[in-house]
Amino acid sequence: MSGTQTIKPDKILKELGELWTNMGKSDEAEDQSHGGGLLRACAMTLISFADDEEDCIALGEVIAGLMKEHPSRAIVVRVREGEDYLSARVFAQCWMPFGHRRQICCEQVEITCSMDRLAHVAAIVGPLAVPDLPRVILLRSARVVRSGAIRKILPLGDKIIVDSARAGACGFGEIGGLLDAGHIAGDLAWTRITELRSLIAQVLSSRKPSTITIEYEGKEAGPEARYLDAWLEVSLPDTRVGLKGSGQPGSGKPTIIRIDGDLTIQLAPGGAEVRIGSLEQWASLPSGTDEQLLNSELSIVVHDRVFERVLNHITA
Amino acid sequence: MTKRKLMPALYRLAYEGRLAPGFAVVGVSRTAMSNDEFRDRMHDSVKKFLEDSPFDEDLWRSFAQGLTYVAGDVGDPASYVELGKHLAGICEDRKTEDNVLFYLSTQPSQYAEIAEGLAGAGLNHGAGWRRIVIEKPFGHDLDSAGVLNGRLQKCFNESEIYRIDHYLGKETVQNIMAFRFGNGIFEPLWNRTYIDHVQITAAESIGVEGRGAYYQEAGALRDMIQNHLLQVMATVAMEPASSFTSDAVRDERAKLLRAIRIMRPDQVADNAVAGQYGPGRSGSERVGGFLSEKGVNPDSQTNTYAAVTFLVDNWRWAGVPFYIRTGKAMPKRVSEIAIQFRTAPLAMFRKATAGAETVPNMLILRIQPEEGISLKFVSKRPGSGMQLRPVSMDFNYGSSFGERSPSAYETLLLDAISGDATLYTRQDMVEASWTAVQPIMDYWATQKFNFPNYAAGTWGPEAADEMLARWGHTWRKP
Repeated sequence: MSGTQTIKPDKILKELGELWTNMGKSDEAEDQSHGGGLLRACAMTLISFADDEEDCIALGEVIAGLMKEHPSRAIVVRVREGEDYLSARVFAQCWMPFGHRRQICCEQVEITCSMDRLAHVAAIVGPLAVPDLPRVILLRSARVVRSGAIRKILPLGDKIIVDSARAGACGFGEIGGLLDAGHIAGDLAWTRITELRSLIAQVLSSRKPSTITIEYEGKEAGPEARYLDAWLEVSLPDTRVGLKGSGQPGSGKPTIIRIDGDLTIQLAPGGAEVRIGSLEQWASLPSGTDEQLLNSELSIVVHDRVFERVLNHITA
Repeated sequence: MTKRKLMPALYRLAYEGRLAPGFAVVGVSRTAMSNDEFRDRMHDSVKKFLEDSPFDEDLWRSFAQGLTYVAGDVGDPASYVELGKHLAGICEDRKTEDNVLFYLSTQPSQYAEIAEGLAGAGLNHGAGWRRIVIEKPFGHDLDSAGVLNGRLQKCFNESEIYRIDHYLGKETVQNIMAFRFGNGIFEPLWNRTYIDHVQITAAESIGVEGRGAYYQEAGALRDMIQNHLLQVMATVAMEPASSFTSDAVRDERAKLLRAIRIMRPDQVADNAVAGQYGPGRSGSERVGGFLSEKGVNPDSQTNTYAAVTFLVDNWRWAGVPFYIRTGKAMPKRVSEIAIQFRTAPLAMFRKATAGAETVPNMLILRIQPEEGISLKFVSKRPGSGMQLRPVSMDFNYGSSFGERSPSAYETLLLDAISGDATLYTRQDMVEASWTAVQPIMDYWATQKFNFPNYAAGTWGPEAADEMLARWGHTWRKP
């Protein structure tokens, strides 16, 4: 399909049905020679928004990777330049698991719209969600987050995943607003520090620190540093926890965690160096690609009480 | 109806070789036209409205030989005499053994008059069998249904009257009986002990689309709930019949319909919700409200949405609410039955999964658009830890059998031709379902509704959500 269209959910659903019928027929023909088969897999509806060509391609790759662990009906909404534009197409993504003879396929709906038609997308996307299975919205697009249409889009999801570390993305206040509205919320900035939190928890398992300072690069602490600070404050109410910037221009990401006078965790690409007195130890901390982070977030479609407590602490 | 549904269904039956060689169709209406003109019109219609099937010109030529036409007026006795002569000629030419099925695809107000006209010309009896098929609505309330039945039965025996309800011809609706009574594992759970409630939804994504004048006289409650959806409910909830014979099955359906608790006027407001759509959006398209439809009174109180809580007073279903809703201009076209089971008695995974394990099991019987059955349950996610997630186990007619399902009209026409009335409604069933909805109609007739009360493209008025909330339930989003 191309050009501006009138898009009706019934028509897209019919096209999806025809897609599977046709795939089934072609598979049947191949099946006679290879003895394979085709499995339609779906565990949730994943609705994502991308706001330019480049991001859309990157998002497509991320979604393709996610399908193996989280097979979904993926609805990708691409917001493009121009006015009065709306189009949709359906297709399937298939892969053959190693050592298997049967293909696993997931369906994908791609909707392209101009910004002025974004408000109409909610009326299209809602009926396309798979009934009874979780509905997750991935909000990467800053333009969507800032648009008035967001009020119609958010109620479509059970869980909303944002990345507060991306430029122009949702801030803590907006994420708090999602929680207040009853949504399950996830923030990839929080997911990024999961391994680091695990390391800190291990290090502190046998001591009660009196002070912890989180140093970060830049003049203003980024979301990861603020999450870490709030998490420590919530988890260790008797400990004095503080943030300290480098004063130089920087990303706001944490660089060193100083615990009392004798313990430091210095962050470096791929891991962290832990020093206790004269002892040094290297801990591996995979930085996590978007696909890995999303894989982790999509595994949690219930409220993450720790995350919610930390966020409430920040926004209080 | 003849062009869109009946003739394509008959052609399809011919295509599959399911009609007798001498099978003939006689078209009757007021318009004067020759046999060839009638054939040409039907040719174009069948070609246009034939779904999921190829159109075969050679087959059509053979099929069209059996198509003839008689012009006549419903109120003119001479027309029936003329029709009688025409039928006698066909009987002789095509060896039909004088078996005749009269299909009244006319205004419902003409049913009784036509039946009397046929009887007046002696066409209700013959050397072969005689049957008459009529479409809903069978009356517009309980009294008029009784009058219609009385007039029809003076002309034809009840066993010769086929009241068609095309919902009952749909594969999934027929499959409800196979599912319940052909399997050993479901029926033991099919009762108040294990089933929490049942939701039956028939949603249309389009508005009335030019049929405003007709629809204004009917409304959603009369047009859908009184007939189609109560029949579906009866099929879901009936007791097992002793055999799969027409009367045994219909007896059980009728018993269930008679067991529906009749609402008192003071109970209607809490258990029935009327709605009418206002302007809104269907997908990306802007949709006007019902009141802006051509031919609709600007103050119309017609319901384009109706939701009702029915209770069934028998041992199997006591205390289990059956929620039925239907509406125009809703987010998607879908008809389905959702049976929600009670939750597990012990929430043993509560801590590990933040309450997700309390999601109740649900069985979904999809009637349209994709006929099939889904069972929803929770499952452990692969990996360490005990994370539960809802999953869906699906059976889809199209992909499981790999063959085309017949349309409801194909099924029902063939049944009527072969004398199987199992999927047709009987007089007592019609009257029992009117009895169930009559108090609602009576109460609504005394009310002044603040319409419109839902926007096109939404799932209906808030009052419908509140109706379920009083029971601690929510509508499913199909």
